[in-house]
Amino acid sequence: MRLRLSVGRVIRGQIVPGVSPFFKFDAVGFVAQSQIMQNDWASDNLRVIRTLMESSAVYRRALAPVMGLVGVTGIAAGALGVALNFETPRRFVVYWIAVALVCLAEAFLLIRRQAIKDLEPFWSPPTRRVAQAVSPAFLSGLAAGVAAFMLDATRREAVLLIIPIWMVLYGLAMHAAGFFMPRRFRMFAWGFVGCGLAILGYLICASKAQCLPPVFPFANGAMGVFFGGGHAVCGLYLYFTEKRGNVA
Amino acid sequence: MNTKPFFQLDRVIHEKGRLPIMSLLAASPELSFTELRDTLKMTDGNLSIHIKTLQAAGLVSVTKSFQRQRPLTTCALTPAGRKAFAAYIDLLEEIILQARPKK
Repeated sequence: MRLRLSVGRVIRGQIVPGVSPFFKFDAVGFVAQSQIMQNDWASDNLRVIRTLMESSAVYRRALAPVMGLVGVTGIAAGALGVALNFETPRRFVVYWIAVALVCLAEAFLLIRRQAIKDLEPFWSPPTRRVAQAVSPAFLSGLAAGVAAFMLDATRREAVLLIIPIWMVLYGLAMHAAGFFMPRRFRMFAWGFVGCGLAILGYLICASKAQCLPPVFPFANGAMGVFFGGGHAVCGLYLYFTEKRGNVA
Repeated sequence: MNTKPFFQLDRVIHEKGRLPIMSLLAASPELSFTELRDTLKMTDGNLSIHIKTLQAAGLVSVTKSFQRQRPLTTCALTPAGRKAFAAYIDLLEEIILQARPKK
């Protein structure tokens, strides 16, 4: 960051040529200095102020380890889900809500650890803003899960719909948080939304053609691949591109 | 050219090192010393001198506390600091308007 501020020069108590000798230096040197600046220094200053104010509000805690750990957990949970082969939508919903809570706990612990290590408060203003941004979509996802649990659809295929709903809502949560995070984060948010819509499209087509995949292996596999794999890819990308600075 | 706005610019704020500090603090309720230092890429000594100047001018308040038995210094703008910063921005806008060619 550079501020384009010229500094007035004084040689042996004399004001440099070009500056009116009418002004006494100390009180007015500042003005003289300002006058010899380029015309656009004020707008440059305003631009710098704006950039800094924006960067002050950005959440920049190191997210690569968080994303990586959540990704690995998601992939493992997907594989375990396929192996367990649930028979009811309720079990599927409860299982994945539990996985989400485990992932949230992991993220909380890692971020808290970073904050303690850096001697910074965990609940900083950017952290608060990110939490506020994600909470509507997260709550909606939870409500969708609770609804699926309560309905316990007689048609097991109905549980497949919860996957695109969760993915789109998660993408929206990330997108909302992306306004307080580095810009590339919103790219991943669009990835989740895109994958959710693609799964929805696939399910509609497969349903019309009456060739739906086996419900629970597909559901668990999709959750593992898209949520787990998505986070793992995001974590890898951030690991190689993220600045090592760590401020929230 | 009307030089009045130049005269009115707050000299404490209008300084290469202190303006960024004021800008960051204006966007947050408070920031820790380390956050300021890392964001502005300043040295500890440089930053603490600027903060002391701002504190002496009544623009910034500094709170020292302990977090997990380690000292934590947080800085925030005082109401006077917020007012002075807003006035500084108003003056910059006025200067820009003056510099703009009249149609």
